[in-house]
Amino acid sequence: MAPMIDVVFQLLIFFMLTLKIIEPEGDFNINMPIGQSGGPPDMSITPIEVQLIANEDGTLRSLNFGTRSLGTGDAAFQALNEEILRQIGEPGNPQAKDTEATIDADYGLNYEYVIRAVGAVTGRVNPETKQIDRYIEKVKFAPPKPPAT
Amino acid sequence: MKFKKTQVENPEIDMTPMIDIVFQLIAFFTIVSNFDQTKADERVKLPRDPMAKPPEVKRENELYINLGYVRNKSGEIVGSRSQPYVFYQGGDKEKYTVVEFKPILHQEARLYGQEGTDPKTVTVVLRADKEVPTGLVQEMIKFSQEASFERFALMATQKTD
Repeated sequence: MAPMIDVVFQLLIFFMLTLKIIEPEGDFNINMPIGQSGGPPDMSITPIEVQLIANEDGTLRSLNFGTRSLGTGDAAFQALNEEILRQIGEPGNPQAKDTEATIDADYGLNYEYVIRAVGAVTGRVNPETKQIDRYIEKVKFAPPKPPAT
Repeated sequence: MKFKKTQVENPEIDMTPMIDIVFQLIAFFTIVSNFDQTKADERVKLPRDPMAKPPEVKRENELYINLGYVRNKSGEIVGSRSQPYVFYQGGDKEKYTVVEFKPILHQEARLYGQEGTDPKTVTVVLRADKEVPTGLVQEMIKFSQEASFERFALMATQKTD
């Protein structure tokens, strides 16, 4: 019996030491038609354009929805989320399936803001049900504009 | 008075419950420690977003790209912010710049082709650090597309609060 217990303890210690607590990570389940999408754009759907302007150090200077500035910080992303909801009417609207959002970010912008914009465009976590409400599934990135060197 | 002489016996401890518990613990740790995420590089500090949902169905073929920085102990970037590295195992170097990684993407696509997997069915799992300039992430996507990858997943950690 004793050798078995020894081995079992060894195993236990091994698993305890190798255990890494990792935060769950995931993606946004978006279709990403990058570059020129084939066919003429569907005029019946208003295109959604989100523009992210960066400061020198890569932080966000302004979040624009169409031509309107929504400001910066958490409130701006919240406002963007509400604007998108207004555009598509209600979550899961079949028309929203064809709506395409374009994210146009400055070259030097920190990637974290782009992810937040993608998050705000694709939907929200319903505060009551804790379920995810999906808004837009097609997210396109405008071609990068490398800084002039 | 006469006492009955009790027989002193060396009592053996009953090990069974302890072993049961230890087995339970082992089972717990084996389940909890997932070896799945070994392709994820811990140097990459992912952006956070509550919308980032772990995939429900496991993707069949995945190519992980870890784009991040070497950081010092207090978490500051060593080197320049405009120069992130791709941490890649299996090449002759340990870290590559975005441009240097381009031939590796073509090589990966070729390897998938040799295995009989169409690179178009492979999901490129892009784990980019939150401070990477967006343009470079887009360049990476562009290079992947040139190497005939089509599916992408932008990774983020789920916000817990």
